[in-house]
Amino acid sequence: MIDALLHLIGQLQGMFFENAVEPALYRFGLMDWSEDAFDAVGFAIFGALEIALAYVLCRPLEWWRPAEGWDDRRAVRTDVVYTLVHRLGLVPMIIFLLLTPIGVVIDGYLRFQGYIPPAVEQLLPALAAWPFATFVVYIVLMDLGEYWRHRLQHRVSWWWALHSLHHDQRQMTLWSDDRNHLIDDVLATVWSGTIALLIGVAPEEFPLVMIGFRLIESLSHTNVRLGFGRWGSGLVVGPQFHRHHHAIEHARPPFDRTRGCNFAVMLPVWDMIFGTWRRAPGFARTGVAALSGPEIRYGYLRHQLEGFRRLGAAFRGLFSRRRQGFAAAFPAE
Amino acid sequence: MIPALARLRSSALLGAALAIAFSGIGWAKTAVVLNSEDDSISIVDTASYAETARVHVGRSPHHLIVTPDGQTLIIAMAGGNELAFIERSTGKVRRRLAASDPYQVGFSRDGKWFVATSLRLDRVDIYDGENFELLHRLPAPSMPSHIAFSPDNGTVYVSLQGTKNLMAIDLAAGKTLWTAQIGPDPAGVLTRPDGTLLVGIMGSDHVALVDPKDGAVIRRIRTGRGAHNFLVSPDGKTLYVSNRVAGTISVLDADTLAVTGTLTAPGGPDDMALSPDGRELWVTGRWRAFVNVIERESGDLKATIQVGRSPHGIYVY
Repeated sequence: MIDALLHLIGQLQGMFFENAVEPALYRFGLMDWSEDAFDAVGFAIFGALEIALAYVLCRPLEWWRPAEGWDDRRAVRTDVVYTLVHRLGLVPMIIFLLLTPIGVVIDGYLRFQGYIPPAVEQLLPALAAWPFATFVVYIVLMDLGEYWRHRLQHRVSWWWALHSLHHDQRQMTLWSDDRNHLIDDVLATVWSGTIALLIGVAPEEFPLVMIGFRLIESLSHTNVRLGFGRWGSGLVVGPQFHRHHHAIEHARPPFDRTRGCNFAVMLPVWDMIFGTWRRAPGFARTGVAALSGPEIRYGYLRHQLEGFRRLGAAFRGLFSRRRQGFAAAFPAE
Repeated sequence: MIPALARLRSSALLGAALAIAFSGIGWAKTAVVLNSEDDSISIVDTASYAETARVHVGRSPHHLIVTPDGQTLIIAMAGGNELAFIERSTGKVRRRLAASDPYQVGFSRDGKWFVATSLRLDRVDIYDGENFELLHRLPAPSMPSHIAFSPDNGTVYVSLQGTKNLMAIDLAAGKTLWTAQIGPDPAGVLTRPDGTLLVGIMGSDHVALVDPKDGAVIRRIRTGRGAHNFLVSPDGKTLYVSNRVAGTISVLDADTLAVTGTLTAPGGPDDMALSPDGRELWVTGRWRAFVNVIERESGDLKATIQVGRSPHGIYVY
């Protein structure tokens, strides 16, 4: 069945590319982008599938047992825009165009010097017979990388200025996972791309599994009174676990944003190992206490501009003797 | 349904899987298709026109070539940074050689030189054709894709897909002889018996006939949108050109370069191969995950064989 589904998606990708995209590339003299454009069509199709699955599976949970209720859902609609822009490929395409030339120069220079990054199967030869096991190792390593990236996003003042766009949402829903500043997305791509380069396994090798993982990320933001219990919450990140991470109380000690809790994206084991795991009853309100104006409520572009403003304030705070601006609201430890 | 047995990787297990995949039907009735986005190769029974196995080989296998002695099939895996040497008679993997981003590969006619283009990293690597020692590595901006060799084995011609250029490289010296502008997105390169070159101009609808001395375009022959790659019939009289955007294959008189016919080949026709009896033209449909088999004499589509994603290189035993 999985092969049949993948085949169907592949045929959709091919038909759309052959009949709509490739003629446009030819018309505008962009034929050297053929292979990348073909991949982008596939990415958009899988992104649409991710969105559909997330909506079908998570939205009923929000109707059934919402953790919170709101009359005004304009902020939620902003997150819908974030999701569409990210998962259908616009933001990844921008990042790809920005970063690929740099990556090629760096990678090319290293190869020119004779350095070829080893793949994880070369470091662990026993994995070579089991492609799926290799992929699991990849996911574990990437999730570890994501955990520490998330810690840094909270610890470093200018990075928190960007990441606060994700946390200032007081109406957290299944759509909130992709609520990030473009610069934060670029940094995340550089971070995860470097790790992926080092361990040598590409996620596009297992597209349906990646959809499953994106579904977990959507679920963890879903507005639902749902926890995975004592044991389940230790295995995989769920709504209650992640809501504690987003809790508005984290603007104040002892859970201020630099300490925080529950930083894991998928596997809570990292929080257990590094001492940031928190289990608690209840479903806290989300948001950042110091950020509550209309700038956080709606408007994708307005929100992105707000991110630049916060970033500028953070840098001014860094270089100023009197810590002013955004950074002053969140002093480093 | 693809046998679970086919989902294997590593030299020993790959070799075992290939050997098992081939053993039931024999090499004489087999085609190998590289599925560049599936990281696999499809083994196809050429009698029943059915895929019998799909074997995971390594990341981004795009092209393959037989060694001059005909004993070994070399699969170039661009994403995996390696060349896999597979013994043709047994399917055993004899060697895996680390190579940086090998996309297109080729031997000079005398087998003395082995050349690999690095499409992503804008380089051309020149190896000793016998021991595969890397002799020269030179920059080739940008997107060096296809290769052809001069009849005297002294020069390799490389199309630079990211520009409008064709470049000529002295194989012994590892130096660029010339770079010439020939048309948008040049792709396949073919050396004719008289030494002149044909280049598929993928950004347009023609192939360019090029002077090998300096890259000057002698004339242009219209074929179809996205003219991509070439195949010459065994008797040397017929030339096929895959037009990847148009979804056709142009049939040309190899001497006069007059277009004598057009075959329908949907799905983004890319690489081509002939059946051993010369009656069938096998062409990969790059965007539709299939291989089309066309009867040469009638031009009729004989079979469409589903394979893995983005099939590229093909070899028919």
